[in-house]
Amino acid sequence: MVKDKIILKNETGLHARPASELAKLAASFKSTVKLNVNGKTVDAKSILAIMAAGIKYNTEIEIECDGEDEEKALSEIIKGFNNNFSE
Amino acid sequence: MLKGKGVSNGIGFGNIVILKKVERKIEKKTIESAQVENELERLHEALREVIDETEIQMKHISGTEADIMQAYLMILQDPSLISETENAIKNSHYNAEYAVEVGFNSVIQIFENMDDAYMASRSRDILDIKNRVLGKLLKEETIDLSNLKPNTIIVATELTTSETAKLDFKNVSGIITEMGGENSHTSIMARTHTIPAITKVEEATKLFKDGDSVAINGTSGEIYVNPTEEEKQKLLTLEKQLEEEKTELEKYRDKESITKDGTKVKLYANIGLPSDAEIALKNTAEGVGLLRSEFLYMDSDTMPTEEDQFEAYKQVAEIMKDKEAIIRTLDIGGDKDLKYLNLEKEANPFLGYRAIRLCLDNPKIFKIQLRAILRASAFGKLAIMFPMISSIEELRAAKQVLEECKKELDNENVSYDKNIQVGIMIEIPSAALIADKLAQECDFFSIGTNDLIQYTVAVERGNEKISKLYTKYHPAVIKLIKQAIDGAHLSNITCGMCGEAAGDPLYIPLLIGLGLDEFSMNSNNILRARRTINNLDKEICKKLSEEILQMASAEEVEKRLREFVNN
Repeated sequence: MVKDKIILKNETGLHARPASELAKLAASFKSTVKLNVNGKTVDAKSILAIMAAGIKYNTEIEIECDGEDEEKALSEIIKGFNNNFSE
Repeated sequence: MLKGKGVSNGIGFGNIVILKKVERKIEKKTIESAQVENELERLHEALREVIDETEIQMKHISGTEADIMQAYLMILQDPSLISETENAIKNSHYNAEYAVEVGFNSVIQIFENMDDAYMASRSRDILDIKNRVLGKLLKEETIDLSNLKPNTIIVATELTTSETAKLDFKNVSGIITEMGGENSHTSIMARTHTIPAITKVEEATKLFKDGDSVAINGTSGEIYVNPTEEEKQKLLTLEKQLEEEKTELEKYRDKESITKDGTKVKLYANIGLPSDAEIALKNTAEGVGLLRSEFLYMDSDTMPTEEDQFEAYKQVAEIMKDKEAIIRTLDIGGDKDLKYLNLEKEANPFLGYRAIRLCLDNPKIFKIQLRAILRASAFGKLAIMFPMISSIEELRAAKQVLEECKKELDNENVSYDKNIQVGIMIEIPSAALIADKLAQECDFFSIGTNDLIQYTVAVERGNEKISKLYTKYHPAVIKLIKQAIDGAHLSNITCGMCGEAAGDPLYIPLLIGLGLDEFSMNSNNILRARRTINNLDKEICKKLSEEILQMASAEEVEKRLREFVNN
C-alpha cells in the first residue's frame, strides 16, 4: 500500500466534472484507490461518493492506493490533482 | 378535418407519435432467495439499457450537455450506488424496482442534505436517472424524443422545456398540443425551429392513434387525418409557395438592415433557450434583444443555482461573441407560477406580485441571477434588462441590488464586464409616460408590446371573449410607443422593441417612422423584416406615422397600414 497527501486547488471544490475525471482515472487501475479526507474514507472510483464528500477548495486529501499497480495509480492521480483535472 | 390554433407556420406531413404521461406505481415485494439472481439480472439489464441509450444520445451533443451526460454515465456505473442497490436485493430481498427506489433514494438524500447549493441540485440528476431505470424495469414504453422516426408528428398535452431540449428536430414534421397559446414555450420553440405547430386541439392525445397519417397546416390550424389526394395537393401547393418565399428571402441574408435613405437599424432575435442563440445567428440576427430567463426556473423543482445560471448565460455569451445579448431578469408571477416559490393565488395576477416586484422583494433570489449574469458577462457582450418597471424608484432599487452584486464580485476578485449595459422593458403605460425621466437613469429601452397593449386597453391577453379589443393598432398604444422612443432619444439612449409587433411587416413602417432603433423578433422573421426595411424610405414612413398619430380608431390605423404596404 502506498499513500501521499495533496491540497485541493480546484477553486469550486470537487464538482461533477473534476469528480468524474477523478473517478474515471481511479477506475482505470486495478488497485483500490481511497481518499482520506476530513476523517472520512471515500472510494475514489465512485463519482457519487466523491461528490457526496463535498470536498472544498484548500482541503487536505490523503490518497491511498493498494494493489498491483499502486505506484502508477498514486503518481497518475497526484498528477491529475496537480492539473486540477484540467479545469 | 380538425381545427386548432395555428402557432407556427408551415405544412407538415407525417405519422402521429403520442406522448402520454404515465402514472407509475412502485410495489414493494419480498422475493424468495431463489429469485435473488433473477432480480439482480433484471437490475443490471435495466442499467445496461439506460447506459446504451445515454451513449447514443451523447453522439448528438457537445459542451455542457455532454459533460452532464458523461456524469450520468458515471453515476449509472457507480460502485457505491450499485452495491447499495444490489444489497437491497441480496440482503433485504426486495424486488428490483423497490431496490432501485431504496438504493437511489439513499444517495439522493445525501445530496439533498448537502449545504452546497450546487451539489444539492445534483440530486435532480440522480432522480432523473432513477426514473429512467425504473421505466426500463417496468417495461414502460417511453418514447425516445432524441431518436425519432423521420416525419414524426408529435401529439402531447403540452411539451416541457426538458422534452423540447431533447427533441430530434430533423425528424419532427409537426407538433399538435392540447394546451398552450401563441406565446407558450412549445409555440415559441416550434417557430424558432420552423416546425409547423397547432395548439388548443382538445383531447388530442385521445383523438389520435399512434401511427395515424396526418397532414397539418400550421398557419391555419387545420389538421387532416388520412388526407385525400385532393387535400394533399392543396397543401403541397401551399408548401411550394412558402418555399418560394423562403428562397426569395435568402437574398437578404448578406444585406445591411438599412432603409433606402440610409437609416440603419438593428435586427435582433428573441430567444427562450441558450442553444437558440445558434439559430438566431443562422438567421442573421445582429444580436439577441430578449433572452427570456424563465427556462431556467420553469422546469425545475428547485431554484436554479448561480452555477446553473452562469453556465447558461455563458453559453449565450460565447455563441454570440461580440454581438450584444440582452438578458431579461426573472419575469415570473402573473400567469407563470413556480412551485417552489409558493406564490399565493391572486385575484388579478397580471396586476400583482410578478417580475421585478417579486425580485425586489426577494433580493436573495434576484442576486443569484444578477451575479450569474455579471460573471457570464466576462465571456461576451451581455446586457441586463429589468421587466415590469412602472416607476423610477423600482429602476433605482434594481440598480442598487446590481451595484451590490458588482461590489461582492469585486471583493471576490471575480471578473465581469464593468461597462455592462442596463436597460428596462417599457411595458406598463406609466413607464412609457415617464420615459424621458427613466431614460436619464438607464442605458436602453425595449418596448414589450404584448404587455403594453394589455395594460393600455385593459384586456387580458389570453381572454378569448375580449380578444378583439386587444390590438396593437389602438392609437393610444401607438402614442405610448412614440413617447417611449422620444423619451429615449432625448437622453441619447436606444429604444428597441421585443414584442411580437416588432417583426410584423405591416407594423414595421410605422415603427421606422416613429424612430425605433432596434427590432427584436423570432429568428425566422428576421430576413423578412430586413426585406421590408430595405424597401422603406424613412422620410415617407415619418409622414405616415404623423398621419397615423392623428387617427382616432384602431380600425382606421390598420386600414391605413394595409394600404401603405400594398402600394
